[in-house]
Amino acid sequence: MERRKVPVVVFVGQPNCGKSTLFNSIAGPKAETSNFPGTSIKHTHSRVNIEGRLLDIVDLPGTYSLCPSDPAERVALFHLYSEKPDLVINVADASVLGRNLELTLELLELGYPMVVALNMVDIAERKGVLVDSDALGRALGVPVVPTIAAHGRGVKELLDEVFAVLDRGQKPRPLPWSSAVDDKIVEMERNLPDDFALVSNRRFTAVKLLETGGMACGEFLGEIDPGLKVSVLRVRKELEELRGMPAYEVIAAERHHLAMKLLEDSSRLLRGKQTTWDIKVDAVLMHPVAGYLIMAVVFLAFFLIIFKVGGPLEDLFLGPFLRLKDVLAVHMGKGLLYYLAEGLLQGIGGGVAIVLPYFVPLLILMSALEDLGYLARAGFLLDTFLHRIGLHGKSISPFILGFGCNVPAVMATRILESERDRILTSLLIPFIPCSARTTIILALVAFYLGPFWALGFYVANIIVVALLGLAISRVMKEPSPGLILEIPSLKWPSLGSVLEKTWLQLRGFISFAWPILVAGSVLLSILTYIRADGVINDVLSPLVVKGLGLPHDLGVTLIFGFLRKELSLIMMLQALGVNYRSLLSAITREQIVVFTVFVSFFIPCLSTFAILWKEIGRKWALVSAGLSVSVAIVLSWLVRLVI
Amino acid sequence: MTLLEAPANTPLRIKDFLGGEGVRRRLLALGFHRDDIVTLDSRALFKGPILVWNLTSSTKVALGRGVAQKIIVEPDHGAT
Repeated sequence: MERRKVPVVVFVGQPNCGKSTLFNSIAGPKAETSNFPGTSIKHTHSRVNIEGRLLDIVDLPGTYSLCPSDPAERVALFHLYSEKPDLVINVADASVLGRNLELTLELLELGYPMVVALNMVDIAERKGVLVDSDALGRALGVPVVPTIAAHGRGVKELLDEVFAVLDRGQKPRPLPWSSAVDDKIVEMERNLPDDFALVSNRRFTAVKLLETGGMACGEFLGEIDPGLKVSVLRVRKELEELRGMPAYEVIAAERHHLAMKLLEDSSRLLRGKQTTWDIKVDAVLMHPVAGYLIMAVVFLAFFLIIFKVGGPLEDLFLGPFLRLKDVLAVHMGKGLLYYLAEGLLQGIGGGVAIVLPYFVPLLILMSALEDLGYLARAGFLLDTFLHRIGLHGKSISPFILGFGCNVPAVMATRILESERDRILTSLLIPFIPCSARTTIILALVAFYLGPFWALGFYVANIIVVALLGLAISRVMKEPSPGLILEIPSLKWPSLGSVLEKTWLQLRGFISFAWPILVAGSVLLSILTYIRADGVINDVLSPLVVKGLGLPHDLGVTLIFGFLRKELSLIMMLQALGVNYRSLLSAITREQIVVFTVFVSFFIPCLSTFAILWKEIGRKWALVSAGLSVSVAIVLSWLVRLVI
Repeated sequence: MTLLEAPANTPLRIKDFLGGEGVRRRLLALGFHRDDIVTLDSRALFKGPILVWNLTSSTKVALGRGVAQKIIVEPDHGAT
């Protein structure tokens, strides 16, 4: 193997094992997030200097095994196989060690130099499990270092071992399976052609050929020549006959038994102490009645905090931008330059002053709830309802994110296993009122009609989302595989981990959405400058005036508002030529409701459209836009008829 | 019987998995194997998912009813 100057170290671990927390505590805030080539799936990487030695560290998405089952896992493993890292840090959750060791055993088969970070030993102890890391290390043949990533404990020892293993260049060896199964693996190895594109080594390649079948792994094991295909099928059949279950289960059972044996030999159970605390708390949190009450309180508090924090911040940030605009108007006149500057300023202002104040608190609270383990529990409780609209509990975190901003919400649908669920969730997200639209609802409906109208508006909005889900899932029948959701142990979130997570997500959002926000805003200013707004208002007047009964001047705000949705309220005031307090002199309360309904359900913003295009493709992005347009028109028209 | 019909709070032994390869692999990956001992913890409201404790791999997993129907269990009398 060629020696690179800076060793590449990859973090691999099962979901919820604290891998990213450990990674972040080593990588620091400089870590960069980038897409895997040709995909939108992200990995985080950083070049770190540890006591004078450089390392390139890479955090891959969590994966249960080296046979991927969702697109994120597939891409992550492809990266792991093709990149050939110098070392793998396998992060294993000590509190679920049996299952985590199955991945560890698979990584031993893969055969890259490896160190195991035995993480969350504190939670394991709380559950009554004491793991002897030295004994485990001897049995596995690789160093095992106990860590508590959330408190930064064991990180230094881990890095010492990493450098020691790198210096030795020591490769691990797979642990032996039962001889009957092992014979079949050896036979498969022998049948591999000499020029076959191996993944790491012959044995690993042979096992993966047998184990993966029609599933995704087969794809990157290269074109299987007909002779090889015959022998793969034959050996698979022999394994099946040997144990009376499919070949992949035979192999999984081998690892499972080994893992259980390792666990037994290296850990001690403190019976009396076991899990009483966790069981009691969970019995309440997931109780069929109390659980829902607690959830209602949690989410109510969640949104209250966000708006209590966001509201004052918005006023604080928005003021200077508006004043700067007035200053510009005085000094620059009404030329093209002014319009460009105004567009730029409003774009940046909208992003800074309206999106951030609500979005940052939401991200922080959301990360805290996730680290605590509460989101998975909410997913369990809400699965029933999501099931009715053709989805299940896992869609809950994209939906909650959607209340902050639709863009990261659409990105978050990647955690869903089936493509159909991803598309359905992504189609529904644009109907969730994000912070920008909530600002409009609060400023218009709550202020001019009363808080109960605003609450009703929210409830109606959720009902619309549910009905749409119902309707779309009628068309997209293909049943989703059903909920299989791990409920991780409850644990206190660490502030550092929450802030780092928030920062990474925020940076992703800023780099994707802000340029689009600013571009849309500038485009709108240019339209105003060339006086296209008058023409557009005239063209739209049959819809706006006749259909919806709104003032003629609001046409541009309604339709092109999606270029600058976060500033719809300000655009509306400008179009009507009034200020906020005197709004009722230009428009009635009923018109305010119709306007808000239209703005809430219409295409959320250019950034959301762009991210939909990127994530689920052009066809579905256009379907989504079409849906938004029709729902907005139909609903606001209905509302006009009713009130 | 299937896991869906099984009584709550009693040790159950997994006998078999029904259903397609996708679901079986997913269950395997999340630590469900034949001969594992599980207990049914609680049910959500209105025919919601069920919460399963896998005592063998000490994991807690929420399973949709469709998935739970694909797991065949029997009461476990031995002390494992």
